[in-house]
Amino acid sequence: MNALERQQRGLLALIKDRGDVPDDPYLQRVARSRELAMMRGIALWWRALAVQMQCPLTTRLLKRLGCFDALVAAYFDRNATSPFVEEVSAGFLASLHGHGDLLIRAVSRFEHAVLAVKGGSAASYEIVWDRHPDGVAQALETGAELPAPEPNTLYRMHVARDLPGMIACVRETEEANSE
Amino acid sequence: MASAVARSRERALAVTYDGDDPRLLEKIAPLIDVIEVSPDAVAASDGSRRYVRPPVLDEYAALRGKKALIAHGVGLSIGSFDRWNDDYLHLLDELFARFDLAWHSEHLAYTTVAGENTGTMFAMPRSEDALDLICERVRRLQERYRVPFLLEHVIQLLPDAPAEYTPAGFLNAVTSRTGCGLIVDAYNLECDVHNHGLNLAAFLDELDCSAIRELHLAGGVEHDGFYLDVHSGAVRDSTLALGLEVIRRAPALAVVTYEFLKEAVPVLGHDAICAELTRIRTALLQ
Repeated sequence: MNALERQQRGLLALIKDRGDVPDDPYLQRVARSRELAMMRGIALWWRALAVQMQCPLTTRLLKRLGCFDALVAAYFDRNATSPFVEEVSAGFLASLHGHGDLLIRAVSRFEHAVLAVKGGSAASYEIVWDRHPDGVAQALETGAELPAPEPNTLYRMHVARDLPGMIACVRETEEANSE
Repeated sequence: MASAVARSRERALAVTYDGDDPRLLEKIAPLIDVIEVSPDAVAASDGSRRYVRPPVLDEYAALRGKKALIAHGVGLSIGSFDRWNDDYLHLLDELFARFDLAWHSEHLAYTTVAGENTGTMFAMPRSEDALDLICERVRRLQERYRVPFLLEHVIQLLPDAPAEYTPAGFLNAVTSRTGCGLIVDAYNLECDVHNHGLNLAAFLDELDCSAIRELHLAGGVEHDGFYLDVHSGAVRDSTLALGLEVIRRAPALAVVTYEFLKEAVPVLGHDAICAELTRIRTALLQ
């Protein structure tokens, strides 16, 4: 590894906040600098702006839950993020698909599906909600309180380009399933 | 139109326009001679392919014969240790296939490391190794497109790396070895003066100003005591004065470009952008 490669790999690790600072006097100096923190802040601001523009529902939900900035930073740090807004947004939404919060999981999957279908995808996407999705969307649009999960009920939604209006949703209850 | 700009003795006024705002274009068109196209800013991705968005291409096509076009990139990453960004070149290929670009340009910097986008732009270290790498790639670009290629210095936000060249000396070495042109960004220089104490007079005295083809003007923001090159404001009087000094020293300078981010348009407003263009033309080009 030559000096140029060592320096560039080191700066990538620093801007992405990926642990140990390389044993190099210049990189050590950068790591301690105010300038690095500022540059990292600007890089994160641009990623957050891309997500905000492309994924308004997920952004509103995460901001309301107080975890937007932390999740964008975690995604930026751990992944090879794209400079293209479409890719960074899709990647960010995909990173939430396994989130422990069922509502975050559903909203991010829904927004990911809508972006994909509008972008020309022929696939069909299934999203399972633990509360009425219209109520969630309305609450996120208006700032009203989010609906509570509905016990023993789920909403099975499909997003696909050949569906009328692109979206279909069926309410399923435990009673109905057990019959 | 494009070659006329490259050959003209009259200096032309250019502006950034990244599409999707026909009302802005209608207002600025009578005030400018050249449109600066940023391939990265007008591109989209469908996940597998990156391309210039067709509606924006159509907007530029409508200007054919009336305004010259120049391309100014952000994402080539000419200074990456391993390879530059081929996706950017595909965007540039699309533009060259459709338009007669007067020239194209990039930042003397890197945005990608080992194939990973850094999310920001790092200035090149001023070392012999970096110089060799840059010059070899400039030559490849010159062969590929057969129109002038220009490089722009970027602000040095991080602490300066150990260097074998002065800032101006490094630029002189690139231009003398390759014959490529230079873009001087007056606001970037002001950032370096403010943030790191660049000796502006010494920089300009040392710089081979005969290589300068284009001057960039912009207004930025101050954050936490630093000047940042977030192109989002009006051009300050001090920046205009520095621009005038650059013009005085640069006999081959052909284009003065007012740059602003698309995201800044709602904040700046169409009328203020037009006023800036008129102000720049009056101050620097008449």
